[in-house]
Amino acid sequence: MASVEYENVGKSFGPVRVMENISFTIADHRFVVLLGPSGCGKTTLLRMTAGLESIAEGEIRIGGERMNQVHPRDRDIAMVFQNYALYPTLKVYDNIAFSLQVRKHSKVEIRKQVEWAAELLNLSPYLDRYPKELSGGQRQRVAMGRALVRHPQVFLFDEPLSNLDAKLRGQMRYEIRRLHDRLQTTTIYVTHDQIEAMTMADDIVVMRDGNIEQIGTPEEIYDRPANCFVADFIGSPSINFLRGEVRGDGGVPAFQSGSVALPLPANNAAAPGQAVICGIRPVDVSVAAEGDVRAEVVLVESTGAESHVLLSVDGQELRAVVQGRYRAKPGEVCALKINPAALHLFDATNEQRIG
Amino acid sequence: MLLSPGQRILRAVAAWAVVMLFAFPIYYWVTVSIKLDREIFSIPPKVFSFETSAKSYEEVFGISLGFEQGLSVLPGGGDFYMTPRLWDSIVIAVCSTALAIVIATLAAYALSRMRFRGQHHFVFWILSTRMMPPVAVAIPMFFIYRDFGLLDTYHGVILIHALMNMPLAVLLLKSFFDDIPKEIDEAALIDGASRFLVFRKLVLPMAMGGIAATAVLCFIFSWTEFLFVLTLTQTGLKTVPVVSSTFVTSTGTAWGNMAALGTAAILPAFIFILLVQKNLVRGLTLGSVKQ
Ligand SMILES: Nc1ncnc2c1ncn2[C@@H]1O[C@H](COP(=O)(O)OP(=O)(O)OP(=O)(O)O)[C@@H](O)[C@H]1O
Ligand SMILES: [Mg+2]
Repeated sequence: MASVEYENVGKSFGPVRVMENISFTIADHRFVVLLGPSGCGKTTLLRMTAGLESIAEGEIRIGGERMNQVHPRDRDIAMVFQNYALYPTLKVYDNIAFSLQVRKHSKVEIRKQVEWAAELLNLSPYLDRYPKELSGGQRQRVAMGRALVRHPQVFLFDEPLSNLDAKLRGQMRYEIRRLHDRLQTTTIYVTHDQIEAMTMADDIVVMRDGNIEQIGTPEEIYDRPANCFVADFIGSPSINFLRGEVRGDGGVPAFQSGSVALPLPANNAAAPGQAVICGIRPVDVSVAAEGDVRAEVVLVESTGAESHVLLSVDGQELRAVVQGRYRAKPGEVCALKINPAALHLFDATNEQRIG
Repeated sequence: MLLSPGQRILRAVAAWAVVMLFAFPIYYWVTVSIKLDREIFSIPPKVFSFETSAKSYEEVFGISLGFEQGLSVLPGGGDFYMTPRLWDSIVIAVCSTALAIVIATLAAYALSRMRFRGQHHFVFWILSTRMMPPVAVAIPMFFIYRDFGLLDTYHGVILIHALMNMPLAVLLLKSFFDDIPKEIDEAALIDGASRFLVFRKLVLPMAMGGIAATAVLCFIFSWTEFLFVLTLTQTGLKTVPVVSSTFVTSTGTAWGNMAALGTAAILPAFIFILLVQKNLVRGLTLGSVKQ
């Protein structure tokens, strides 16, 4: 097991610049999720780590050793691809055993390892099948098994669950995380699904357009998003943004947007008169009989356990999550209570967090 | 798709009509080879009922089939004796196909997987070598072959046929390799395999269908090629297309013999295609990647 360090890593494909100055360190044993929208460079970064893409700028170190010129097979990493890339002409057993066979391990040792991995992944009944005879979830597990038997220093997972149905995804999420807790192998896991990131990660690295936007534990990222992009990307349903400005009159600082006025903590760093964007998570908005803000119901969506209410406040949209059923017709007027302690303030010009 | 009985019959009839249309010339060619000379051009044409004779085959292959007692058989080595020529054709077609496929497969895999400066131009350049009409190359080739001592030799003809087939084979095979996800190669490379092992153990079995299809095309080209065999051989060897033309003489055309040779020439090609066609199935990469 080993740490992974990125130092000023950049990448261009011909004239196209896809990555800029990536620097961060993944400590030994950590489960780190690279999170970002499609096309932000997650796969590219992972492929550079694996040695499938050249590292022309900067440096990547695994276990303290510079990897720039090291062949993929000598990096002691195992990768699960975005499409699983199983070997279609080999049976499941040989798919999993391939790396050991190539490295000339003894037959007995190989059998032991494959059976161990198959056991762990519930693949034992399928060892004699070909990949085309498996379901999507089983294929995904074969790809995992191929990585597991290597006992590598680092696991690289590229959106391994993106093609499974929601239920299976939830189950695999849990199993992968449990596997990590058992094996303790340093893991880099790429996804664009924020739920996967929140539930599985020790640390999340949020990326956008080849840049790192924020690094932190899931709690840090959720509680203190560094900018509007991160705040918007994390959390479901996504955060509400209200544009307005900070009022300082009367000694109590407040956020003012049209008719909405929300008191701010006295120690907040925003200057009076500053144009800001205020982020409010839907769970921090509650619909009440009477409250600070008047709103009009636009739409109610029920997920069963809770209801998502889309509201209109002075022409700005606002979402609220209400526990249980909420029955209201579009057009009805209601009152809102907003938890002032849960507000996130961002500068209106550069969208960075204030305070 | 669900068809009514009427539609199904109509479909069968149409299918048979098309097959008949294409098969008829071959059938007629075969009948010519077993007809008596005087009946070949009889009007109206005798399509189904005619007197049969093995004379053409007996002359072309220098054997007595014994169907027609008392018919004089030309001695082996006569002008019409073609068994060695059929053999020449088989050797040249098989060897040139094998040579072209081996080299083209390796080249196509490299072109499909490796990136180098000017790669796109390189692929185009390969194709461009087939843009010149072969006739323009034939005479210079004759001199080159004479100086290198390749004239009238098996390896000379095998070489030129393989060369002619190579560009198309490379492009065709490249497109088959392009269809195989490169993540499979990469996964195997990370797993510790060498490039060559990846190629031999994983990629090659997946590309079998494409290789078979390409081999069929190469074989048929070599089997039917006329110009280069005509210019680059003298007495040492001749292939079927070239010797077929010798049945056309100043005193008349030996239609029966030509048809007999032609009929016999269909067989090896047919057998070759039959052998490789079981590989002509798509979907060998099924199950590797999620769709
Ligand atoms: N071989 C390539 N040549 C040119 N551009 C490339 C190449 N590979 C990736 N890119 C570009 O690099 C950027 C990052 O791609 P990458 O595959 O890393 O995205 P990603 O974050 O993995 O996205 P997704 O979530 O859709 O998988 C994209 O804009 C893509 O167009
Ligand atoms: Mg990707």
